[in-house]
Amino acid sequence: MPATPTLVQRWLHRLPEPPVLFSAIAVLVLAVIWSTTLYLAANEHAAGQRAAAALTADLTDTYEAQMVGALNVIDQTLLQVRYNLRTAPAHAVLREMGASGLLPHEFLFTVSIADADGEIIATTQPAAMESVAARDFFQRTREDRGMVIGLPRFHPETDEWRLHFSRRLEAADGGFGGSVMVSVHAGYFVSGYDPDALGKHGMLGLVGTDGIFRVRRTDDVVYAGDAIEYRSLVPDRAIDTASDAIEVKVNGWDGVRRYTTARKLFEFPLAIVVGLSDTEQLAQAKALVRTYLGRAAAASALLVALIALIGRLSWQLQKARARVAEEQVAYAKRLEYFAYHDSLTDLPNRAFFSRLLVQGMHQARRYERCLALLFLDLDRFKTINDTLGHKAGDELLQEVGRRLRGCIRDSDVIARLGGDEFVILLPEIAHATQAVPVTRKILAEVGKPYTLVGHEYRITVSIGISLFPNDGEDEQTLMKNADIAMYHAKEKGKNNFQFYSEQLSTDALEHLALESSLRNALQNDEFLLYYQAKLDLNSERITGMEALLHWQHPDLGLVAPMKFIPLAEETGLIVPIGRWVLETACRQNVAWQKAGFPALTMAVNLSARQFLDDHLLGDIAGVLRETGVEPCRLELEINERILIRNMERTLQILQGLKQMGVRLAIDDFGMGYTALSTLKPFAFDTIKIDGSFIQEVMRSAEGKRQTEALITLGRSLGQTVIAECVETVEQADFLRTHACDGIQGFHVHEPMPAAECAQRLHEQLLAAVAPRP
Amino acid sequence: MARSKRITVVGCVLVLSLALGTASAEVVVIVSAQSPVSALTRAQLADIYLGRSNRLPNGDPVVPIDQAFGSAAHDLFYRDYIGRSTALIKAHWSRLIFTGRGQPPKAVPNDSATAEIVAENPNTIGYVDSGHVDIRLRIVPIE
Repeated sequence: MPATPTLVQRWLHRLPEPPVLFSAIAVLVLAVIWSTTLYLAANEHAAGQRAAAALTADLTDTYEAQMVGALNVIDQTLLQVRYNLRTAPAHAVLREMGASGLLPHEFLFTVSIADADGEIIATTQPAAMESVAARDFFQRTREDRGMVIGLPRFHPETDEWRLHFSRRLEAADGGFGGSVMVSVHAGYFVSGYDPDALGKHGMLGLVGTDGIFRVRRTDDVVYAGDAIEYRSLVPDRAIDTASDAIEVKVNGWDGVRRYTTARKLFEFPLAIVVGLSDTEQLAQAKALVRTYLGRAAAASALLVALIALIGRLSWQLQKARARVAEEQVAYAKRLEYFAYHDSLTDLPNRAFFSRLLVQGMHQARRYERCLALLFLDLDRFKTINDTLGHKAGDELLQEVGRRLRGCIRDSDVIARLGGDEFVILLPEIAHATQAVPVTRKILAEVGKPYTLVGHEYRITVSIGISLFPNDGEDEQTLMKNADIAMYHAKEKGKNNFQFYSEQLSTDALEHLALESSLRNALQNDEFLLYYQAKLDLNSERITGMEALLHWQHPDLGLVAPMKFIPLAEETGLIVPIGRWVLETACRQNVAWQKAGFPALTMAVNLSARQFLDDHLLGDIAGVLRETGVEPCRLELEINERILIRNMERTLQILQGLKQMGVRLAIDDFGMGYTALSTLKPFAFDTIKIDGSFIQEVMRSAEGKRQTEALITLGRSLGQTVIAECVETVEQADFLRTHACDGIQGFHVHEPMPAAECAQRLHEQLLAAVAPRP
Repeated sequence: MARSKRITVVGCVLVLSLALGTASAEVVVIVSAQSPVSALTRAQLADIYLGRSNRLPNGDPVVPIDQAFGSAAHDLFYRDYIGRSTALIKAHWSRLIFTGRGQPPKAVPNDSATAEIVAENPNTIGYVDSGHVDIRLRIVPIE
């Protein structure tokens, strides 16, 4: 078995290809056409030759018979005349024989009798009376016993060649007694030239054994006297004439190529020559052959044209098909691309990423490596989208996509999950820490300014990282945990990255559970208020209460405010809850009043959400109305941080609250006093110094100074200054000596439910000074 | 006066034609008075004399009588009636004789001999000088 195919095999293999196939078919058909044509042409040619040869043979036979017949007539005449001359004189013989019709027709033949000297003594043609003494035939007749055929002689007066036939006459003594002669025009012997058979270039001829043509004729012209090489023309007549060799040769006397037969006549020293022109005889055959060739050529041309046309069409068809196939492939590819890529950023989409992630996990599993999943969420993208429009938002996303691509290697995968969420897969990392440089780079790159609608803007991104196989061994788990980590990053203040930890998950679950219970907490009456008293340092009396929201969770027990208030704030539940708090606190205050306790100011915290809520003023007015509490008995505590933001709106709201007659307090005072100077004209009722400062009071001189300064500042802003989180007597003493109006904290008492609080108030009533715990 | 003039003219013409008639060598085609032949076309006459046909139009056999080759009557006949030159006649008969396909018509020496033979043989046809026509003979008009 040959390892490489042979040339033939290779070509056979290529046969089905249209060009090769068509060419092969064309060649085949052409071969058939031409082989057939050439065969037919050869046949035609051969047939023509055979026909010419056969015709020549036929004509020769006929001519021979005619010639022998004619010569016999002449000879018979000679013999008869000679015979009759024995008994009658010359004149009488001729006359009698003529009258009896024994002489050949006198207008063609002239019969004459000459004496031994060659003088004409009698003749059928009176004009032919000249002596024949000098004539060649007369000389020969002296010697020859047979019929003598003289050489042709041209007679200008009649414009014809004439031949003489003569026989010797015996004298009485046995010697030469003269001759009897028959003369005829030489053309007679070739008068049977049929142009239909012999054409214009055939020939009939009579040549003597002496090599002299007695007569020959071609077409209408009669020649005589040509000398030829007898032996080369006329074959020996030893064999049967039926198989005459008919040669095609050039006749020397006129240079024409002819099928030539030369046959010696049996009894006479003459040979007939019959020739048919090669050109003429084969003209028809040649014409036919030319027709065949012409047809073959036409057919070939037609075939080639046809094949060329078909070939061209086929080629065009192939091209078209190839083009369609290409287009289909391209189309399919495009579809596939669009199915797997995000149209805006050209990054892989979620579906594609999913596949790549699974692949990546397989690889990592196989080679026992880790991979990291980075979940990216753009911070405050929504703001930009809303402010600048969707077009700018799209541009931003595209630019982010570009920058992110620039941060990763070729082997890393980046995808857009949708909205402003991206995900990056770092395959084959050995250790978690290897993910950090990339993440930091991303934070840096994304943080660089963007030019949108002609201006510069900045955004940041929060990134959550989960690792395979530590944080999950399937796609969903990894993605979920990265998401949780990202959420944690957001909680941690955004523009940072966080690794996933189980705690986060737990936290997240907790968070979720809490959130759902929070939604029902209000309906289920799970909330309750604890109260913490504020002690006036001058009078040592409780002048006010702060209401603190607690949650009695059915499963978790008592949930501290810092655990659920941020969640409430986040979810917006703070608004209805806050309303409940207000209402409950005011009712309680009214109840205590009715119970006979001295007038107290009830303070309620307002969160940022509540403060900025549109219905704040309406809600407060409603609560005042419903509970019947005096406005000056309600104090709203607003965190310093909330007041710093959005100054304009803050002022508006504060104005509105002031107009209602409620008291206003700044909570957690201490940080932003510079900005607060703008609020100076406002005159808050209470300033509450942040607990962190009070803690420092007894620990350092710095702490003391700071607190002092704050008290002074607070005084400038509000009427009353209260310190929070006072826990020790030393702190209380310090504050007293430094002109602080009131304190709140464990030193007074810890927050407690209404009933216990009432108890304390009661005790206070009984004693002049608040008992020390 | 007119009548006499006319008679004179006619008489002169007659005399002249007679005179000319005897002196002219006009050849006419003749058959025996008993011959059924009334008229012949040139083509028919040529066929008979050139050996192409040996029958009359009505189917009766006919034998043409020729005159001596080279005689005046012969020459005139072949020139005026057959319309072929001597050379052509010669070539024609050469071919027929040589190929054995025909014999020339019987030749007689002169007009008188022709007249005698034709007169006595109703199946013959001949030509003579017009002066030799007598009551035994009929002139055949040739169209």
